[in-house]
Amino acid sequence: MADHASDATVAADLRVVVVTPEQTVLDVTTDFVALPLYDGELGVAPGHAPMIGRLGYGELRIGHGREGQLFYIDGGFVQVSGNVVSVLANRAIPRERLDQATIEESIRSARVLQAAGDDQIARRDKALAQSRAQLRVARRAR
Amino acid sequence: MELIATARFKKAMDRASAATAYTERITQLVADLTRSGLEVSHPLLEAREEASKATLLVLTANRGLCGGFNGNLIRAGVQRWRELGQDDRITERRLEVAGKRGIAGFKFRGDAPDVAYTHFEDKPTYDEVELIANRYLEEYQSGRLDRLDVVYMKFISIAKQQVAIETLLPLGSLGDAAEADSPQVQTQYEFLPSPKSILEEVVPSSFKVRLFKCFLDSAVSEQIARMVAMKSATENAGELIKQLSMEYNRARQGRITSELMDVIGGVEALK
Repeated sequence: MADHASDATVAADLRVVVVTPEQTVLDVTTDFVALPLYDGELGVAPGHAPMIGRLGYGELRIGHGREGQLFYIDGGFVQVSGNVVSVLANRAIPRERLDQATIEESIRSARVLQAAGDDQIARRDKALAQSRAQLRVARRAR
Repeated sequence: MELIATARFKKAMDRASAATAYTERITQLVADLTRSGLEVSHPLLEAREEASKATLLVLTANRGLCGGFNGNLIRAGVQRWRELGQDDRITERRLEVAGKRGIAGFKFRGDAPDVAYTHFEDKPTYDEVELIANRYLEEYQSGRLDRLDVVYMKFISIAKQQVAIETLLPLGSLGDAAEADSPQVQTQYEFLPSPKSILEEVVPSSFKVRLFKCFLDSAVSEQIARMVAMKSATENAGELIKQLSMEYNRARQGRITSELMDVIGGVEALK
């Protein structure tokens, strides 16, 4: 990567690239990003050590405070290398596009779903976890 | 028609090139993973000794008027289907076809597809492909599927597309460029939670992306084929018009001449 040279300059900005299999959703520079890792949230500031992580379902926060952008991330990976944060997500939905009513509806339908066998239970739990994470992002007060 | 095909091709091309960002980054990620000394092993990557259940997925178009596109695909698909049928090791084979043309083509040859998809137009979405991919993964993991071959039109350049038969399950290797990468600055990565867990997730993801890429390639190639077919149709029609109008003018001139001859002949006779 071309950005290895900028490793030394800690004050440099952080470049965040969010890609899904369909398109590049976002390519911005910022000073902070919070990632939904598999087992909890991780904040990345400029000058972070190189890292590869597995993403869970949750919110991706770019920037501080009110100007920040919020995305719902549906699993995937993140690679941090030389002030470039590449987020490879299966889906990335901006907060504005999440609809609380439909999410609540999908939670309700998932909860009453009959599941037999480990396979189906796992699938139901996954759908529930995804919907709940979406709801958390949607409900988040700005 | 040519203009429509051109516009559609541009759109499909944009979608396909937008999707390469993800492929490139996942290849990069895998390259970094392997460089960290991790042994890449995953059930999806290893070929099974007893490969008895095979599935063949053929991607064709829903509509015709695109030159040899569908014909070539069906021919390659039928040939592979027969090969699978003659292979003694394969006891169970399933045929899945996307696109109305392919479904009709296989039916005509006496092999009705087990599963048929007609909802893939020139804009295949990841969500739709993921559904199919998840089903394959599940079947593969539970042992109901040992091998998946995909027949599709591979997009090489605007001037060249090729029928390709690829074995997507087992995956074989992760990303072709992973080993060919020149050793760059060695970066020591921190893995959260662990390289193994990441690998577990990377392998299915790269399978899905590869399947998605097959669909995208196929959509782009279809539009190119249609564009070329329509271009030659337009040119041919122009030539036909030229030829026909010349014939018409000749016939008209011939009639005028013969009428004139009649008149002159009459005048001559009266003298």
